[in-house]
Amino acid sequence: MTALLDIQNLRVEFGAADQPFRAVDGVSFTVRPGEVLGIVGESGSGKSVTSLALMGLIAYPGRVSAERLMFDGQDLLALPPKRRRTITGGDIAMIFQEPMTSLNPAFTVGWQIMEALKIHGGGSTRSRRDRAAELLSQVGIPDPRRRLDTYPHQMSGGMSQRVMIAMAIACNPKLLIADEPTTALDVTIQAQVMDLLLHLQQERGMSLILITHDLAVAAEAAHRVLVMYAGQVVETAPADMLFDDPRHPYTEALLAALPERARGQRRLNALAGVVPGQHDRPRGCLLGPRCPYAQERCRREQPMLHGDTQRQVRCFFPLAASRTSIPQSA
Amino acid sequence: MTPPASHLPVLEAIGLSRHYAVPAGPFRPKVALRALDGVSFSLPAARTLAVVGESGCGKSTLARQVTFIESPTSGSIRLDGRPVALHDRLALRAARSQVQIVFQDPYGSLNPRKAVRHILEEPLIINTRMTAAERRERVDWMMAKVGLRPDYAARYPHMFSGGQRQRIAIARALMLNPKVVVADEPVSALDVSVRAQVLNLLMDLGEEFGVAYLFISHDLSVVRHIADDVMVMYLGRAMEIGSRDTLLDTPLHPYTRALITATPQIEANRRKVRELLKGELPSPLNPPSGCVFHTRCPHAVTRCKAEVPQLRAVAGREVACHLAETLVAQPGTPA
Repeated sequence: MTALLDIQNLRVEFGAADQPFRAVDGVSFTVRPGEVLGIVGESGSGKSVTSLALMGLIAYPGRVSAERLMFDGQDLLALPPKRRRTITGGDIAMIFQEPMTSLNPAFTVGWQIMEALKIHGGGSTRSRRDRAAELLSQVGIPDPRRRLDTYPHQMSGGMSQRVMIAMAIACNPKLLIADEPTTALDVTIQAQVMDLLLHLQQERGMSLILITHDLAVAAEAAHRVLVMYAGQVVETAPADMLFDDPRHPYTEALLAALPERARGQRRLNALAGVVPGQHDRPRGCLLGPRCPYAQERCRREQPMLHGDTQRQVRCFFPLAASRTSIPQSA
Repeated sequence: MTPPASHLPVLEAIGLSRHYAVPAGPFRPKVALRALDGVSFSLPAARTLAVVGESGCGKSTLARQVTFIESPTSGSIRLDGRPVALHDRLALRAARSQVQIVFQDPYGSLNPRKAVRHILEEPLIINTRMTAAERRERVDWMMAKVGLRPDYAARYPHMFSGGQRQRIAIARALMLNPKVVVADEPVSALDVSVRAQVLNLLMDLGEEFGVAYLFISHDLSVVRHIADDVMVMYLGRAMEIGSRDTLLDTPLHPYTRALITATPQIEANRRKVRELLKGELPSPLNPPSGCVFHTRCPHAVTRCKAEVPQLRAVAGREVACHLAETLVAQPGTPA
């Protein structure tokens, strides 16, 4: 099956040209039609910047470059900006972390949904209003016709996120990027919103890129998971493989730091140190200074992402399957 | 091992309520928002009680009452078995030094214009007669305790990362050797690996200093790790209180069950059938009649709309639900 989205060696840099800060450092991945790809990582790992670059939302001082940025058979890099904008918002849609601040407080939600329809679809005001109400009912908002005339401040966080989702699916996108869609929401509302997102994804056969810092959310929703650290992809694998049997020391450390993996154990296995910033980036492997398995070679040179079509790891000494598969006590 | 005396309650809340008067609209009299409505708990020395619930359940309001930042509308607070005179300024001042707080946002809770040394020294200046040299020594010692280099004391909060700032906030809370530390979502703003570091630190210091934690959190996996007892709150009321294992392994209250099943799990074999709740939190200005949870409860019957359930002991915990007995019989949802 051909990929819907194919990214090769994506780079996003900020700051001076001679001493740039590389927020995204050679990220490559593909998304197949109907696939849910989870991107996980801690703050500053470059997961959000990757999605913004994809949407063409990196503003001037930032520089985006890539070897390949293909979406649905079109080269996004070669497209004139005007053509590209018809794709973003239409075939590629995005929802953001903060539903309350993503909506314009000065306009009714109906107006905002109809604006998207106007730009990408057209039709009469009447038909757009009907479609907007239909979208609101699809995302499970009760009494949608009346809700069209409410302002964002009159709605709760969960409702606002539903409106954002309605707006994102308004033009039947082929790819939906959800950047921390449930981080600002309470856990019972998070369950409702994730349920809705996955339901819509299956019903429409959309591809979904789910960006999250919550490993459990990715584990439950994603088919394949990409782990990012300091702007690089460190490991990618099908979700069950990645969580059962991580091969990169960073993935292992992230999982070990979770309280649910430390049952019966008083202390959590914390990874010492912090993510490197612009000035303390190590010369070799970026995890090197924090990695418990680091060796001389890790300090000297940068490992490349390698592996088979299923799983790829950026590590000279990937963890062996035997060592990491701790037998699960029932 | 521990003598029974150390398990006497250090902090007790009895029927604590806090109502805020909020405007109902122009030219209308203010109405009472019952942010906290008759909550009682008892926290034994050197133990951890977790308060769990979603936004608007009153857990931060509870924190403000027991740290004496605000005075409750009704109810009383006992510290070390003695009631605190809530209208006596001197008594409050003494009580405040015994109950300290760590806030959620490490960026907003440290004064950006003060060096770390000053932030840590301030409680000592106000509450003790220590000399400058003694204070300096205590600050250096405490910084080392929370894993910060004492020579960073001259630095300002913006020079530290989120995890380091939370360490400073913890150090500040411990400066006066309090009996209780209220931790209001202390790790929810932190990344996974830093969160583990800070949780380890909290547990180590809790043991070393013998402080009891009132640990407020919405994250059940963190609560399971750190808490001895758990209280689940909804719309300003306690729904279920009990020991950690009882509550998380065999929850009775439908809301506790919904919270547990809604929490995402990495291990597929720990995932449960979601008891998805309908709708959202009702307005606390106009709470539902009877049981406040009945509008979203999958088990609600007519009685729930009419009659407010009181906390009562069922199967080894206290639960506020009319149907608790019938729910015991049903195969529960083990966490």
